[in-house]
Amino acid sequence: MTEQSRGAIDIRDLGVVFNAGGNTVQAVNSVSMDVKPGEFVSLIGPSGCGKSTLLNIVAGFVRATSGSALLDGEAIRGPGSDRGVVFQQYSLFPWLSVRKNVEFGLKMKGVPVAQRIPQARTLLGLAGLLAFENHYPDQLSGGMKQRVGIVRALATSPQVLLMDEPFGALDAQTRVVMQEILTNMWQQFRISVLFVTHDIDESIFLSDKIYVMTARPGRIKAEIRVPLPRPRTPEMTYTPEFIGLVQQLKALIREESLAAMGSELKEGGLSGFGIDVGPRGVEQVV
Amino acid sequence: MSSVQALRKKGDPAAAESVDGGPAPVMAVIRPPLPQQTPVVRNPVLVWLRSHGVSMLLWLVSIGILLGIWYVGTRYRLEFYIRFTNVPTPADVLQKVVEVNQSGKFMLNIGISVRRILIGFSIAVVLGSMIGLLIGRYRIMRDLLFPICEVLRPIPAIAWVPMAIMLWPTNEVSIVFITFLGSFFPILINTIHGVHSIDPVLIRAARSLGATEFRLFSNVILPGAMPHIFTGFSVGMGVAWVSLIAAEMISGQFGIGYFTWEAYSLVSYAEIGLGMITIGVLGLACSGGIQIIGRLLMPWSTYASAGKK
Repeated sequence: MTEQSRGAIDIRDLGVVFNAGGNTVQAVNSVSMDVKPGEFVSLIGPSGCGKSTLLNIVAGFVRATSGSALLDGEAIRGPGSDRGVVFQQYSLFPWLSVRKNVEFGLKMKGVPVAQRIPQARTLLGLAGLLAFENHYPDQLSGGMKQRVGIVRALATSPQVLLMDEPFGALDAQTRVVMQEILTNMWQQFRISVLFVTHDIDESIFLSDKIYVMTARPGRIKAEIRVPLPRPRTPEMTYTPEFIGLVQQLKALIREESLAAMGSELKEGGLSGFGIDVGPRGVEQVV
Repeated sequence: MSSVQALRKKGDPAAAESVDGGPAPVMAVIRPPLPQQTPVVRNPVLVWLRSHGVSMLLWLVSIGILLGIWYVGTRYRLEFYIRFTNVPTPADVLQKVVEVNQSGKFMLNIGISVRRILIGFSIAVVLGSMIGLLIGRYRIMRDLLFPICEVLRPIPAIAWVPMAIMLWPTNEVSIVFITFLGSFFPILINTIHGVHSIDPVLIRAARSLGATEFRLFSNVILPGAMPHIFTGFSVGMGVAWVSLIAAEMISGQFGIGYFTWEAYSLVSYAEIGLGMITIGVLGLACSGGIQIIGRLLMPWSTYASAGKK
């Protein structure tokens, strides 16, 4: 398959500075990371660490201040249908039926109705939502909306799927089901995924590789490979390998969360509670 | 089927698998396609009756109270600061309905008023929503056009009557112009607000799905602003009637506003009542029409959350 060789994201020394009311905020600082074709990569870190900013750079919504972001060797200039995006908030068009939402990208490409309807129906079938094709988004549950969102992003056959905490608003049970559905679909489509989350279990369950980011300004603190075999099943979350990874990631993120809070709370404020703030630095864990 | 199996079948695929799983060969799992979920279907008539039955009853009571006060006030010629002495009774007005319909003059007045509304309002719909979309979306348009609108907007349409008579070649055109002005600004302002209230994530989503600016405008900005545009139509239609009636009373020779004012000059009190009720019914019919068109064009709005029901 030729798609196998496409969908490579390459980010080098990337920096993003925002202007917020006269103040400049360094959101992301000299980040280098990559997503290989067909790879599932998660970005994880404390809130406000710039992981969404990084994803928005790849999506083309935000411009980098310095460094480069390449998709298959070409600089990313703006949003486009070669990168499907699934957002944290529900982003379905409320005025379009479920099926027409899925058709949207194809319509923008100029695909005639006679072709896009069967394509959309096939995808909805994969997501178990064919019976809801004529419903409006406001008639669906949160989990169903996000499934439509994923299917809509996949409809234009992108090389990359970018997901910004897509299951953040869902309850724990729905979230687990959605993770399974996502892995299934990812395996069928064999495309690269960049997945932003702050849920450690979620990132391990889904990913081939996890990047841990530091507190703002966000940098890559660690790159962790997930050696668990595929297909992944919920039972794997009880295996020693999984639990070991959870502990490793928890420790890394805890350091960063404390670092982020430490800059807000005065020194001693935390150690007074017996919490060890610990040193801060970039380490490479492979 | 045992109860355990039934439970498994009912549950979602993940739950079912976690029960099945155990020491099973995890690597060799072949996933069945997801079971298709099916929507719940309910009898729409029953649903409507249950939610609206009480409302209907209360509406009738509400109208009944109004008619009751009118009847009692005029029947007993009540006088307590408010004076019902000269007010026509419901029966007088009802009788007048029969009387005026014997000649075509009354229907002609109604027809002329409705025509003025339709022309003035239609122009306002086209111009108000188009300019509103442009101002809402593009900064250049906002800077260029919005100052004009903000300077003219505080002037009530009725205040334009003398100027309109000077500006336009005929009385008819100037009345239509007043009607247009009345509905233009509510439509404009609501359309701008509608564009601004579109969730930015929808615009990002459309862009990431390959929408160009032109496609974005017709496929996201317009439908996204539509609920607010229709709010503008409703408000605009109300103001259009206010402006029309005032203009007809001041400068008209025909129309239901002129009919009502003339009735006062001719001391035909029952006709005043009839004119007022006719204006009310026409206004109600027009807003009803807009609501129906809105529902037909925006079938999704029935399900939209956040108090839009």
